[in-house]
Amino acid sequence: MNPKPFLQLDRVIHEKGRLPIMSLLAASPELSFTDLRDTLKMTDGNLSMHIKTLQESGFVAVAKSFHHQRPLTTCSLTPAGRKAFAEYIDLLEQIVKQAKETQQTLQKK
Amino acid sequence: MQTNWASENLQVIRTLMERSAVYRRALAPVMGAIGVTGLAAAVLATLVGLDKGGTFAGYWMAVAIICLAEAFLLVRRQALKDNEPFWSPPTRRVAQALWPALFCGMAAGLACLGLHPNGAWLLPPVWMALYGCALHAAGYFMPRGFKLFGWGFILAGCAWTLAAPPVLANANWAMGVFFGGAHAAYGLYLFFTEKRGNAT
Repeated sequence: MNPKPFLQLDRVIHEKGRLPIMSLLAASPELSFTDLRDTLKMTDGNLSMHIKTLQESGFVAVAKSFHHQRPLTTCSLTPAGRKAFAEYIDLLEQIVKQAKETQQTLQKK
Repeated sequence: MQTNWASENLQVIRTLMERSAVYRRALAPVMGAIGVTGLAAAVLATLVGLDKGGTFAGYWMAVAIICLAEAFLLVRRQALKDNEPFWSPPTRRVAQALWPALFCGMAAGLACLGLHPNGAWLLPPVWMALYGCALHAAGYFMPRGFKLFGWGFILAGCAWTLAAPPVLANANWAMGVFFGGAHAAYGLYLFFTEKRGNAT
């Protein structure tokens, strides 16, 4: 099997804690910190750490504002994050496709 | 081996992306409008003295239709305001989740309206429990509180079935308190808490 797609996977996204964050943000224009935390059942510290990593990679933008006089932190994917996530999914699909083809070839033999 | 984790990751991504599209449209105004309508309907029904089986069923089914129309108009108005499609995938999922239990409630109401008016005393708890089931099902695609709200109706319906005498006395008030009051209170709660609560 060609290991190239596997090696091309973005290591920032390809992590147990960050992949779900990217997936949720990919389906929404923006999500609050609380929504992410509650949906993923992560601790505040853990989520903050992953968001910081994604932010430093330029994949996630964080905006701080006030709603009803209380702080509101919202996260969204940047265009670079959206592109990287789409590429990550393409690579996963390639891996699945390749493995199926290998399996079929082996079965024919 | 690689296929397994790649497929699993794709499945996780798909599931999370579906869950991310949570239905949040006009929830506070819808709950508030339903609550006010329910309370007003209860006051009117008590003043007029609607306590006969068939009349009770017909009246509250009409109120339910008015509430549905209000919800439809409010949701449509917000969709237009936000320049989004009305029949979006989250809206469709919520409607599909609500529909079976609401359909059963409608069938129970129609049965009391025509065939079994004497059984109308059972309508409020049955409607309550079915409505709770509908909310609980829709809660999978809505903010978390809706499931709890649904459980509240289910438990209230069950408690009423076990405890209440088989008569329609005070049924209008109970409908007003449980449907009208609960929705109005939840609408107020959503109004003051939506998009709040943050930790970073």
